[in-house]
Amino acid sequence: MLFHEMEASSIASGIREGEFTAKDVVVDCLARMRALEPVLNALITPLSENALAKAVGIDAAVSSGKDPGSLCGVPVVIKDNMCARGVRTTCGSRILGDWKPPYDATVVDLLEKAGAVVIGKSNMDEFAMGSSTEHSAFGPTSNPRDTDRVPGGSSGGSAASVAAGYAPIALGSDTGGSIRQPAAFCGIHGLKPTYGLVSRWGLVAFASSLDQIGPFARSVSDIALVMDTIARYDPRDSTCRPGDRPGYRESIKAPTVRGKRVGIVREFQGGSLDPDLGRSIENTASMLASSGAEIVDVSLPESAAYGLPCYYIIAPAEASSNLARFDGVRYGLREDAADLITQFIRTRSKGFGEEVQRRILTGTFALSSGYYDAYYLLALKVRRRICVEFADAFEAADVILMPATPSLPFRKGELIDDPISMYMSDVFTLPVNLAGLPGMTVSTGMNDSGLPLSVQLVAPRWEDSRLLEFAAVIEAWAGRPGVASGGVL
Amino acid sequence: MMPLSFETVIGLEVHVQLATESKLFCSCPTAYIGSEPNTNVCPACLGLPGSLPSLNRRALELGVKAALALNCSINCMTKFHRKNYFYPDLPKAFQVSQYDVPLAVSGSMPIFLEGKVKNINITRLHLEEDAGKLIHETADGRLSGAAFSLVDYNRAGVPLAEIVSEPELSSPEEAREYVLMIRRLVRYLEVSDGDMESGSLRVDANISQKCSDGRWGSRVEIKNVNSLRAMERALEYETIRQRGLLLKGEEIVQETRHWDDNSGVTRSSRGKEEAHDYRYFPEPDLPQIAVERTLVENVRESLPEPPWKKREKFAREWRLSPADSASLSENLDVAVFLENVAASGADRQMAANWVKTDILRVLNETGLAVGDLQVGPEGLASLLAHVEKGSLSNTAAKDVLDIMLKKGIAVDDAMKEAGVKAGGVSRESLLGVVAKVLGENAAETALLFSGEDTSGKKRKFLQGLIMREIRGQAAPEDVSAMIDRVLDEMKG
Ligand SMILES: [Zn+2]
Repeated sequence: MLFHEMEASSIASGIREGEFTAKDVVVDCLARMRALEPVLNALITPLSENALAKAVGIDAAVSSGKDPGSLCGVPVVIKDNMCARGVRTTCGSRILGDWKPPYDATVVDLLEKAGAVVIGKSNMDEFAMGSSTEHSAFGPTSNPRDTDRVPGGSSGGSAASVAAGYAPIALGSDTGGSIRQPAAFCGIHGLKPTYGLVSRWGLVAFASSLDQIGPFARSVSDIALVMDTIARYDPRDSTCRPGDRPGYRESIKAPTVRGKRVGIVREFQGGSLDPDLGRSIENTASMLASSGAEIVDVSLPESAAYGLPCYYIIAPAEASSNLARFDGVRYGLREDAADLITQFIRTRSKGFGEEVQRRILTGTFALSSGYYDAYYLLALKVRRRICVEFADAFEAADVILMPATPSLPFRKGELIDDPISMYMSDVFTLPVNLAGLPGMTVSTGMNDSGLPLSVQLVAPRWEDSRLLEFAAVIEAWAGRPGVASGGVL
Repeated sequence: MMPLSFETVIGLEVHVQLATESKLFCSCPTAYIGSEPNTNVCPACLGLPGSLPSLNRRALELGVKAALALNCSINCMTKFHRKNYFYPDLPKAFQVSQYDVPLAVSGSMPIFLEGKVKNINITRLHLEEDAGKLIHETADGRLSGAAFSLVDYNRAGVPLAEIVSEPELSSPEEAREYVLMIRRLVRYLEVSDGDMESGSLRVDANISQKCSDGRWGSRVEIKNVNSLRAMERALEYETIRQRGLLLKGEEIVQETRHWDDNSGVTRSSRGKEEAHDYRYFPEPDLPQIAVERTLVENVRESLPEPPWKKREKFAREWRLSPADSASLSENLDVAVFLENVAASGADRQMAANWVKTDILRVLNETGLAVGDLQVGPEGLASLLAHVEKGSLSNTAAKDVLDIMLKKGIAVDDAMKEAGVKAGGVSRESLLGVVAKVLGENAAETALLFSGEDTSGKKRKFLQGLIMREIRGQAAPEDVSAMIDRVLDEMKG
């Protein structure tokens, strides 16, 4: 059986009902991973032995009549900026060295408690700063749909793992598009939940007010399955919203868009948008209209004009502070020197890559006395206006339909020396983070050259289940994305 | 030409460690003194990657308590900021502190000096986390020349309240009185033990000089003052140094100076450390904190009368001397004990005298707190009632109090034990008087001693003298028995 092509929900139910074992599944997925890793480099740390041991444990539990949970024996890949106790966590950087966190991220804990088997920690742009997974100290990841191209980023390793069939599901983190853009590039689904829906405890911070953990999968129902597992209140994250979450699988049982208003963003159509991606929006809108939805025009001029600069002040500012703790004193890389300041400078100069240093410097500048008001404070004001602008748009629309990325996956090396163009890759995703909204990339098939197409759905805060409902309708029409060849036939 | 004169202008930043069980943003214990290094730590207070803060509401409550007692206005929405700087004792390389919306602003507190009351305005009170502790491996524990340094993060994350005064203190003595009043207050409120020696109360002082010719010297911040004495000496030193410079027509450099207690001088600490731009910005991991009205009102209701109110009350209403008012208001429990003695019917002045001399003496000798005493305020009041009626002499009453304190018994039982009835003298006092009278009347005593006083006339005579001496405050048979006892002792 080709377990690596199966959905997580089918794997879990097959194991629970004794049709096959967790070990069978994990062995197959690990074989898939071993075959493709030399080409894809999607993982920084494969956890084959741990995974096999865990699978054997799950099989034992099942045969003794216990139910290990809704993700029983399901292989998952975790982005390497989430802590797993005793497992090296690098954030794609040299600066953490061999640091092994003494604690689990809440999401890792929740997945494991539901029976999931972590098979590896995935490659990423260093500290989640990048849109191509080329800014990793562990080498670039290739796009499994076309290995000459980038998988997107920063959660490129997680997206590639799911597209290539290492696992049916993976976790990524999304600060400005780091789930939705690689999902689009790898031709799978990816959800960035509402800020505060999923606990960030154990997620190594890039920009605290923007970061959110979310799932990748090749089916909408698997996205819902993961959300039912990880979307929980956690008192250890003060920004995590208290209270119960709705049942996400429940929300896609009988999905309908009838009578719902779908907003198309005037400013995000045309222009430099790839024509295939523009057509994908149009086709999706037509389908939704013929399914009973009403298509309306919405306008997000401030997001379009100021989203990117606003983001590139706030995110680096927070990052400059979040990444200050990597000073070589307590853990990770240390470059010894005769005095403290020199030790800090050497450690950080050697430990951080170029893009990270660029953003730390940008952020430090934006917060400096004399510049704070002109940059950081102004960016906060713009951010508030973007929130208001989205709220206004949601007066007219129940869901916004817009592109996830302006372009199809670009070639490796194409933008590596052009940071501004690279930043442009997130122009449609980052306003959603600034406003704290849920956003989802839904795969809509392939273009004529076999490159993945997609749309992005955005909903008001806490209406993540509405996104899933729309995504389920789109998936029923466009088809579920299959497993990519990964360059190996 | 008029000689130049100067005014000293001092503002203080007092850091008070809040008496919470756990740290400000995690659940680690705050007890760092005597703990094995780096044992009271967790991912959050170690600032491990991926960890996040969650506010300890108890620290917020204690902050509100101190702020209300200082007559501050509480900001109903307050927020935390990050203060960014690199130092090995700061695990996240930023300190979570407060900036533009502190917990409380605009308070005031009176200080007493040389019989005068001066009101000092409080700019703000804010919460922040403490840093860890660096231990330098050199003979003198100083950084320079250390082969290596060790860091203990047990203290990292311990909650502090920073209380900032307006620059309204005009002498080192006033600064001292201010710190003492803050210390008294935090102890009254039980928000901190206020112990300077162990570092739970720390002071940074800002001092400048205003010259009569209109010049105003730059402000200098003095750090590393680890005792009241050190603070006073440092401020005195700075006053002289700054005035000296101004007299020479030189500028005062605005800077931070460290007090060197051994050499008795302040030293400039300019350099890399000094060039800080803390890049404050709102802590994104902590949403704004709502300080609920109910919390504020509950805390307000629980507030004791502050030390200055007690002191003024003792002085004005009770008409106690300034010294007594001060010493009796030093400790809340003692002050409340005294109030309760008076409330139980004792005369205020008399109650004050007894608490000041007898109760405080016992507390000093035993190291006990007033709450640990075997005698409550009602007990002392009932004893003083006897004294007031004249039915118990002062001397006798002290003996009775001793027994009450030792045995924890009521005044009547203690009097029995002491061998005094209501209106009697204690056995001990009686013994003293008997021995004295017998000694002074050697001839009569000799007759009693030899058994020659068959008629008992001499005994009656002596007994009469004794009775007069004790103003009749003992039963005749008790006096007679005491005479026999003294005679027996003479026989050996
Ligand atoms: Zn802790």
